[in-house]
Amino acid sequence: MLRYIARRLLWAVALLFIVTAVIFVIFNVLPTADPAQLRAGRGASVEQIEAIRESLGLNDPIHVRFARYVEGVVTEFDLGRSIFQNNAPVRDIIFDRLPATIMLTVGAAILWLAVAIPVGVISAVRRRSLLDRTTMITTLTLISAPVFWLGLVALYLFAQDVGVIKIFPGIGAYSEADTFLGKVGAMILPWIVLASATAAIYARYIRSQMIEVMGEDYIRTARAKGAPEGVVVRRHGLRSALTPVVTLLGVDIGTLLAGNAILTETVFNIPGVGGELASAIGQSDYELIQGIVLFGAFFIVIFSLIVDVLYAYLDPRVRYS
Amino acid sequence: MRRHPWLLTLLVLALALALPACGGGDDDEGGGGSTGGGTGIPEEFAAPTAPPEDAQPGGELTVIAAEDIDYMDPGPAYYQFTYMVTAAAHRTLLGWKPDDTTEPSPDLAAEEPEISDDGKTITFKLREGIRFSPPVDREVTSADVKYAIERGLLPGVANAYLPSYLGDVVGFKQALKQARENPTGGAPDIPGIQTPDDQTLVIELERPTAATVIQALSLPISAPVPEEYAKEFDAENPSTYGEHVVFTGPYMVENNAKGELVGYKPGREIRLVRNPNWDPETDYRPAYLDAITIREGFADTASASRRILNGSAQVNGDLTPPPNVIQEAAQSAEPGQLTATPSGGNRYIALNTQAPPFDDINVRKAVVAASDRVALRNTRGGELVGPVATHYIPPNFPGFEEAGGVEGTGADFLAKPEGDIELAKEYMRQAGYESGMCEGDCTVTLVGDGASPAKETTAVFEDALRALGFEPQTRGVARDIMYTRFCGNPKAAPNVCPSVGWLKDFNDPQSMLQPTFSGDQIQPSNNVNWPQLDVPEINEAIDEATLIADPEERAKAWGEIDKMITEQAAAVPYVWDNQVNIQSADVAGVINLFNANWDLAFTSLKAE
Repeated sequence: MLRYIARRLLWAVALLFIVTAVIFVIFNVLPTADPAQLRAGRGASVEQIEAIRESLGLNDPIHVRFARYVEGVVTEFDLGRSIFQNNAPVRDIIFDRLPATIMLTVGAAILWLAVAIPVGVISAVRRRSLLDRTTMITTLTLISAPVFWLGLVALYLFAQDVGVIKIFPGIGAYSEADTFLGKVGAMILPWIVLASATAAIYARYIRSQMIEVMGEDYIRTARAKGAPEGVVVRRHGLRSALTPVVTLLGVDIGTLLAGNAILTETVFNIPGVGGELASAIGQSDYELIQGIVLFGAFFIVIFSLIVDVLYAYLDPRVRYS
Repeated sequence: MRRHPWLLTLLVLALALALPACGGGDDDEGGGGSTGGGTGIPEEFAAPTAPPEDAQPGGELTVIAAEDIDYMDPGPAYYQFTYMVTAAAHRTLLGWKPDDTTEPSPDLAAEEPEISDDGKTITFKLREGIRFSPPVDREVTSADVKYAIERGLLPGVANAYLPSYLGDVVGFKQALKQARENPTGGAPDIPGIQTPDDQTLVIELERPTAATVIQALSLPISAPVPEEYAKEFDAENPSTYGEHVVFTGPYMVENNAKGELVGYKPGREIRLVRNPNWDPETDYRPAYLDAITIREGFADTASASRRILNGSAQVNGDLTPPPNVIQEAAQSAEPGQLTATPSGGNRYIALNTQAPPFDDINVRKAVVAASDRVALRNTRGGELVGPVATHYIPPNFPGFEEAGGVEGTGADFLAKPEGDIELAKEYMRQAGYESGMCEGDCTVTLVGDGASPAKETTAVFEDALRALGFEPQTRGVARDIMYTRFCGNPKAAPNVCPSVGWLKDFNDPQSMLQPTFSGDQIQPSNNVNWPQLDVPEINEAIDEATLIADPEERAKAWGEIDKMITEQAAAVPYVWDNQVNIQSADVAGVINLFNANWDLAFTSLKAE
């Protein structure tokens, strides 16, 4: 097992290096706009732009700049400075946004699992029943609804500031809340919105997994040995069906932490990594975009590693192969 | 030019769709208002420019915004929304009172600056008793203003407008070179800025450009910076003074004992509190509020605007209400909640005068004549987003009337705002196209902003080109890319840049016309003379006009230059922008006409 983990770790490091190189090339060799010009501002003279370019080392050969960037990332986790947000270090901006994103992701994940597992299991166990058809139609609808649309509908229906039925804290409530409980309250609508589509996908996935597992020989054996149906479903069926869900969950959490909750964070004005990425893209703040993308890649690689190790632990065939 | 001209776009779009349906009563809350000749703003939406007589001290105001300011450091600050903060937290040599429209008022300066007879020496006397906020605490001296300007040359600070407006200060160019050679070695000395004593600042000029220099010193670059405190931050590249700024105005960003701005979370929040070292006896700002919180990140402007209108937040920062929300506000909001202000900006479609077919003035005149400028303006909204432009200096600006006012300069190709296709064909014939239509290779390239409403504006202009037989080939790109890769890069410039416009730096026509139409200002990158107009007579007239100090003479000269530029048909001017702002019913907001946004140091909360 240790050799497996070591091998995976080495791969993760290599992968991160490759990702860093690709991201660096995209933003430095093929930039869509000149960073020195963006920093100088419109109307600045050519001399000023050149002075900025020189002072930031943008005239150095690409390999020198890449080496400098990697050195900064490795030694100080220095991801550069934002062009438009007060020259703030990208690292500090990301760390400032991360707690909100973690809270949003974890809460939503708990919610979608809490909904998807029972719905998926019941639909699988009672196939073609009214309940099964209703839940599957509902999940299909939720999957089809864009998150930003769902978010806006939720706000205009239930938000205390702009909603018709003023139940939940509204836009920007997370930033305005001073206490942890206040922040939890502010997250209720975003959790529901973010979890809705994902819960629907998970429910359908779990349902299909359960249907497959419940047809296995060992399930028949368990039933033949007289095990109660509830035990068969929970202990023998669900446990097996959930194993591949772990992979899915790991990747989903990784991508959400990497900024993939961009729409939910934007609609609800949650100061998270995704909202920051949206803002950076809108302003062509390349250093910030580059930093967030790299940071996101780091998260995805790390969570993939965790999932791989967990999977190997749950299913020894993986590590032996 | 300040960043984010798209804000104006959104604003104009919003205003246009909403205002035609507007009703509402008189705004009796503000002590003044401004509609101005030619701005098209009805009286009921006039911007209040003075606090009510019974303005209440105290209370906290919440401002909501979509994005962040550009820099907290006044050195590089160059954005309309940033000025909303700097005007409340910094004292510059000269400042803009809410109803100032032509000349700034003394602020850090005790009185109007003294200009020598030859126009080459400006002397400022500083007010006594103005102190920096904690942790610096000491009194401001003229050396702090000198340092503030000099550090603006450092690549790590990089003020964008200094070379344009203070380039004539003695020793400026050498100092710029020195800063480039040693970017972290401290601010370079500009010999032409002298401080004979703590209260006196003398600026020596190589040419008599005092009028421009004085106006430029109303911008945040003249906010004092204490060298002994800031130099360690300025030794970094980029400078980190923006994380440790000290203030002289009535408000300051909340900080800790080390001076770190704990009240500023970039992209999230700015918390302004009272500056304990501010003395109201020395200032014209009443500063009614106890604290101001600016919450950022409200990307959905519709819901954010509704928050303001229903009282969940109080005034808008950089965000502009979308048309449907303004329509609601116009119909159901209380008087004064919706205001419109001339922005001091214009929009035009730039024709590349250096390449065929628009290197021929008659072809340019033809295209301008064929353009339906009303339809172009309407893509941004409607009648009240601003009047259809007939030249470039905007209303309420020195030189506007001298250039012909709303009626225009008299150019026949701009006489009919809906377009004049017969005249257009006549000009085509004069250009050698006998049929009055383009013949041969008629491809015209356009690179514009690919987002709405700019892309709709481009589409309307394409119709004018097609009406004359041209074949438009349009490429829509992101706004920054449009500027840095195409329109601002003469080598890659297309035939037409349909999505450009200019916002004043200060209320002087030089800041509107020189960067944008002087051939001497064309540069190989970051170029803002988008039509690349390079007419020796105009360049010469601009050079001469920059040296005129007398306001009336100056306005007349720049009005004439505006006429000369307009006659070149280098662009299709189609709107002089107005800007809309909103406030909640419990706020007695005051608009600063210079910045066309809320003046936080004059705004107050109404008594409950």
